[in-house]
Amino acid sequence: MNTAIGAGLELRQLCREVGGRRLLDRLDLAVAPGECLALLGPSGCGKSTTLRLVAGLDPASAGQVLLDGQDLGALSPGERQVAMVFQSYALYPHLSVEGNLELGLKVRGVAGAERQRRLGAVLEMLQLEELRQRRPAQLSGGQRQRVALARALLRQPRIMLLDEPMSNLDAQLREELRPELRRLLCGREQPVIYVTHDQQEAVGMADRIALLDAGRLQQVGSPRELYADPANRFVACFLGRPAINLLAIAPGRQLGLRPEHLHLAEDGPLAARLLRREWWGHQQLLWLDSRWGPLRVLCDPEVTLPTEPRLGWQRQHELWFDPLSGARLHGQGPVW
Amino acid sequence: MKARAASLLLMAPALLLLAAVFVYPLLRYGWLSFQASSVLTGLEPVPNGGANWGRLLDDARFWTDAFQTLRFAVCSVALELAGGLGLALLLHRPLRGRGTLRALTLLPWALPTTVMALGWRWILNDPHGPLNAAIRSLGGSSYGFLSTPATTWFFVVLADVWKTLPFVALLLLAGLQTIPEDLEEALRLEGAGRLQILRRLTLPLLVPYLTLALLFRLAQALGVFDLIQVLSGGGPAGSTESLALYAYLNAMRFLDFGYAATVMLATFLLLLVLLGGGWLLWRRERAA
Repeated sequence: MNTAIGAGLELRQLCREVGGRRLLDRLDLAVAPGECLALLGPSGCGKSTTLRLVAGLDPASAGQVLLDGQDLGALSPGERQVAMVFQSYALYPHLSVEGNLELGLKVRGVAGAERQRRLGAVLEMLQLEELRQRRPAQLSGGQRQRVALARALLRQPRIMLLDEPMSNLDAQLREELRPELRRLLCGREQPVIYVTHDQQEAVGMADRIALLDAGRLQQVGSPRELYADPANRFVACFLGRPAINLLAIAPGRQLGLRPEHLHLAEDGPLAARLLRREWWGHQQLLWLDSRWGPLRVLCDPEVTLPTEPRLGWQRQHELWFDPLSGARLHGQGPVW
Repeated sequence: MKARAASLLLMAPALLLLAAVFVYPLLRYGWLSFQASSVLTGLEPVPNGGANWGRLLDDARFWTDAFQTLRFAVCSVALELAGGLGLALLLHRPLRGRGTLRALTLLPWALPTTVMALGWRWILNDPHGPLNAAIRSLGGSSYGFLSTPATTWFFVVLADVWKTLPFVALLLLAGLQTIPEDLEEALRLEGAGRLQILRRLTLPLLVPYLTLALLFRLAQALGVFDLIQVLSGGGPAGSTESLALYAYLNAMRFLDFGYAATVMLATFLLLLVLLGGGWLLWRRERAA
């Protein structure tokens, strides 16, 4: 993934302000050629805004978008040679699958024979041959997504942008499509930005994740880095399901412990009371109450629970936060 | 069977109303068109075979009026569609004060035709109207705009366009607003310019709305009466007379009800053939 300096996509101090409201605040980000970066965050965090700035659909209030060292700022969306898969897929309803794929080539003046050749190749790659005469309204959600992908690939883009491309599909299909999507998109020359609010999708699709909140970049790194070494409480809470437990242990210190890192231990330091259990088949989730607050614990589905369970954990799994700012506190906590 | 009976029962009031205000008058016209019913018969209907229809075929005034009506409808509707599309595209763009502008645009349409036509007649009045006053103040001399066929025809069309263009624009604006924004964005990303987006995306998606506007306006313009009656009275020398006006004159001025019914029915049949034929053609085009 490492290439020459300046290659790939680079965002420098990128800002977007609308009506005095900061939608995106000084974003610095780099995506290498062939890398898939997931922009992750809750609704309104600025991830779609970022995508639109890269595509040139909205103007940046400040900052730069650089591709292979070239500033894209003055280029129109068409000149940037980017492809985007929209959340709605944005298929042209009056055209057949074929027409949808061909329109961009026609607009760019690709000659008939060449057009047919490229069209045939992409129809075959995405197994759309039998659907070529259908209108978008006659396609299923998964088929529409394939057409949108095909259209993006035909663009031969220098940057590939995807705006929640799976959010209109059902959960099972989403899971099935992840490897397929990765095979088609990633590992080519162009950088890929994949916007999603679903952490599972981000972890499954991306080489690295950039987590945004309220227009600010919280952390960027591999899924493993974000999970194991979160920069702050927001990152710790956003990644990992069920969400991390936050325990108000002492004034000025908050302890974060993931449900999967707590275990039942007869001599554990934390006494708890069982409220409820959810049986998930491969695991069970315990809802507990303790003197430091409510707890979620993941454990073996067949384990028998003592009436007054005690909990333990390994010190390396402790994550400490400032309770007010949410900033990560490094160094050891108190000794038990 | 039971459901069928129930649905017929539910539709009955509408069907009865339609029969009363549409089917019955039509049948009555049909019957009347085979009667002589004028001052000569003491306004009593007397069967006269197909005399009225024979007269119609030879009536140069009818065919001149048919041509004039068609010419008026085609010209004004074409201008309204083109202008309405332009206005709709303009009003669809994010402009400051767009809401106010939209409301203002609709004003001419809200005016009753009679009031509007009287207004135009006053504007064009020779020599007292404001248009002539303006010409004189610029050093020219008054002109009888409603005294020559060409200028009268021009202003009849202009007045109709002025009044109904906003309606067409509003209808097309509603159509524009049904087009999701991301479709245009997708095409922009493909490298399309504004004209290409209009030609390849916006216009094709507006076709149903354009067709609707065309049918509405064509049906209305082919039956034009009030505007012409007030603005030009069909003159000068019958040069702006429409079929509806001719039918009205036959009934109310010449008191020849039999022939008036014939003209009315012939107008209706003409309209039916034109609009129905156009509709069928359009459907075949779309199916292909």
